[in-house]
Amino acid sequence: MSEETKLPDREPVPGEKTDPGEKNTPEKKKSEKMKVRYTGEGTNKEPAAYLFACQRILALLAFFFIFIPSFNPARISENIRNSISLFTSAVSYSSIVTNFSFQLERGFIDAGIFYLLYAGAIVTVLGIIAAGVGICMSLGNNRVKHVSFMVTIPGSLASLVGLTLIYFSYVQASAVKEIGAMIPVGLPAYAILMGVILVLGVITLLVVPKADPAEDFEMHTKYQLFLMFLPFALLTFVFAYLPLWGWRYAFFHYKPGEVLSMDKWAGSTYFVQLLQNSATRRDIVRVLGNTLAMSALGIITSWVPLAFAILLAEIGNKTFKRFVQTFTTIPNFISWVLVYTIAFTIFSTEGFISNFFGSQLGWIKPGTNYLMSDSHTWLKMLAWGMWKGTGWSAIIYIAGISGIDQQLYEAATVDGAGRFQKIWHVTIPGLMPTFMVMLLLAVAGALSNGLDQYLVFSNQANMAHMEVLDLYVYNIGIGSKGNIPLSTVVGMTKSIVSIVLFFMANTISKLVRGESIV
Amino acid sequence: MDDERITNAEEQSTSVMSRAEREEQAELERIEQSQKEKAFNPRKVTIVDAEGNETVVDMRKKAKFRRQPGDVIFYILDYAFFALFTILCIFPFYYLFINTISDPDMVSRGAVNFIPKGFTLSNYQKMFAVSDMWQSVIVSILRTILGTATMVVASGFVGYLVTKEEMWHRKFFYRFLVITMYFNAGLIPWYMNMQMLGLTNHFVAYIIPGIVAPYNIILVKTYIEGIPGELQESAYMDGASHMTVFWKIIWPLSKPILATIAIFGAVGNWNSFQDSLLLMSNEPKLRTLQHVLYVYMNQASDVTSVTGTGAGDAAARSVAAAKTIKYTISMVSIIPILCVYPFMQQYFEEGIMLGAVKG
Repeated sequence: MSEETKLPDREPVPGEKTDPGEKNTPEKKKSEKMKVRYTGEGTNKEPAAYLFACQRILALLAFFFIFIPSFNPARISENIRNSISLFTSAVSYSSIVTNFSFQLERGFIDAGIFYLLYAGAIVTVLGIIAAGVGICMSLGNNRVKHVSFMVTIPGSLASLVGLTLIYFSYVQASAVKEIGAMIPVGLPAYAILMGVILVLGVITLLVVPKADPAEDFEMHTKYQLFLMFLPFALLTFVFAYLPLWGWRYAFFHYKPGEVLSMDKWAGSTYFVQLLQNSATRRDIVRVLGNTLAMSALGIITSWVPLAFAILLAEIGNKTFKRFVQTFTTIPNFISWVLVYTIAFTIFSTEGFISNFFGSQLGWIKPGTNYLMSDSHTWLKMLAWGMWKGTGWSAIIYIAGISGIDQQLYEAATVDGAGRFQKIWHVTIPGLMPTFMVMLLLAVAGALSNGLDQYLVFSNQANMAHMEVLDLYVYNIGIGSKGNIPLSTVVGMTKSIVSIVLFFMANTISKLVRGESIV
Repeated sequence: MDDERITNAEEQSTSVMSRAEREEQAELERIEQSQKEKAFNPRKVTIVDAEGNETVVDMRKKAKFRRQPGDVIFYILDYAFFALFTILCIFPFYYLFINTISDPDMVSRGAVNFIPKGFTLSNYQKMFAVSDMWQSVIVSILRTILGTATMVVASGFVGYLVTKEEMWHRKFFYRFLVITMYFNAGLIPWYMNMQMLGLTNHFVAYIIPGIVAPYNIILVKTYIEGIPGELQESAYMDGASHMTVFWKIIWPLSKPILATIAIFGAVGNWNSFQDSLLLMSNEPKLRTLQHVLYVYMNQASDVTSVTGTGAGDAAARSVAAAKTIKYTISMVSIIPILCVYPFMQQYFEEGIMLGAVKG
């Protein structure tokens, strides 16, 4: 939208500072800005403002429904896959006809029907996008608004034409029995939506006063910035907030691949099952035990990076220090799959331990696979976590130590403090705030151990002690069982408890340290 | 005579004094310098007493004088601990590497422990003969480049936008972004959402969800807030648009932080396998290298079918080859990180520090 402000007919051309009569350009600019701000606010107070607001909300809905398969107006046949959205239909012709390729080859169905449908989908999508752009432009002053009508009205008209084309292709398709034609929910819904947007566009065109041709194309800075931000807000909504809509699966008897409908309503069945079904309950208790045990081990050992940093600081040889720091942080940057591969090369039947200490030195029984046993699973996972993370977590403390006021050490030295006294009375108190934040975050994240580590290290032998909440959700939802409702229930509960824990940690931090973590 | 001598001696002594003073001055400067350098172990300390007299105490001499057996033991243990820990961190990589460049037969006999035996690069050749290997390498590289580039540009731009107080409902939208860091709907709803959007089995599923990265946006925002506002203001005075200010002023000035998030993003993209595992289940061609590796690791010893050694070879031989090929795939996945890391270490460390500032 910022392009609007740079149209050539703008009177005081930016950058024309050399003009002798324009010495007080900044002041002039400012007053001009004030004027724009005034007109911008002015239009908002008119009754048209409410019409614009309605139109914007409807346009947002129309835009979202482009990506939602359930609202696809182009699904005029039961045989068109129910997973494709209007957007997909408009982008790829092949996605529409995947299930008809045989009939089309043999000439049972006239391909013209699908070409018409495809064209209709394209026109609809382009129309909706044009209408959306126009409605975004309507945030400008009257001059911009009058341009925006020239985009919104034709855009919504075009989308209605596209919907009509889709309807025609439906009419043709209903004559052919093989297609199994039907009117999708999205078709009337979209027709109404775009119709209302069109009507609102025409009304606002009549209501908004005619712009003064001498006026510049302007939009208030706050709306310019907002419009630039809008695409990212939409992305965030789609990928971070829209999944919440998936919580509905917790209340339905749903199996993968089915279509959700009200006759599958399950109410609180799966919540009750979680608590009352003895097998499920036993699983949950075990999984919670694993989760909390591993988190607790992590929290108990959270002082290790701190100690690591303090001990490293005592080393005088700079090269050695640098060397240690470089190589102990590397494991943090490889994925858990690779950590597992490394575990495999060292600890499997033919790994290093078995080969060297077993076959060559004869200290242990060769051919032992340490990864396939369930002994000390929690400790092993802790050890791998520490192997991967200690060096990296220590960096924050190393930096913290260099941030401690040197005068404190000097004073302590003069007072005759030894090495350990200085560590105890100067270094550790200096690092405490950082440590507390890390600890609180660890407590807040006690239920989220992450999936990767436990997924790659788990196998038949150690699953009983390996299965943490994240892995359990994965196993029952996506793994062999495919129990999506139950898995959603567990995930949902976990998310809610986690956010509560997080806010508790934040409150504690506010009370104790006087500042929040966030 | 005597007078002359005395004056001479006086002169001499004053000149000596002044030289000593100068030396002292230089010494003090040097001490200051060394104190700045040696942040952790202040060796020389300047003590100022109540009357303003300065005394330099050389802590090193003092320490030498006071060095006790306990100190020596401490240093030995300290160095030994870090040497051991470092070896623990490096050795597995080294072991993996020597196994990939050794003769598969030697590897299967367990003869390769500390030095490579029967040097050969055939493992690498064989690995790339595996059908979907090239494809997965290309997918991984593409997603790393595209995913990182879009994420960095978006983080820079959004980070800039959220510093603008004038933005319509800025506070609300900023929180709208930040809250997503601490909250998610869960694995299954996320998966169902991706399915609903038609992103399963599609390459863009690697790129689009990663464009908005709230944590990186916070980092960039904090950084931009540290840039003097006058620079932007003067540009606005000259009639520059927000886009111009971003590209011409903010973007070049925030390069350090952008480089940092770019490196973190690249490593994350290269390493991520969860999205590939969940979303590309029906599209083996779009799997990332990490995912392919995971699949091979899970196939236990049954990778013989993919090595193309044929039926003529002894079964043991192909099992051995399969094992070294697993190792080789891992090595290929690790190499980019091992190559990039030493050069980028400072950025990584700056990154964690910036994160710590925000908590």
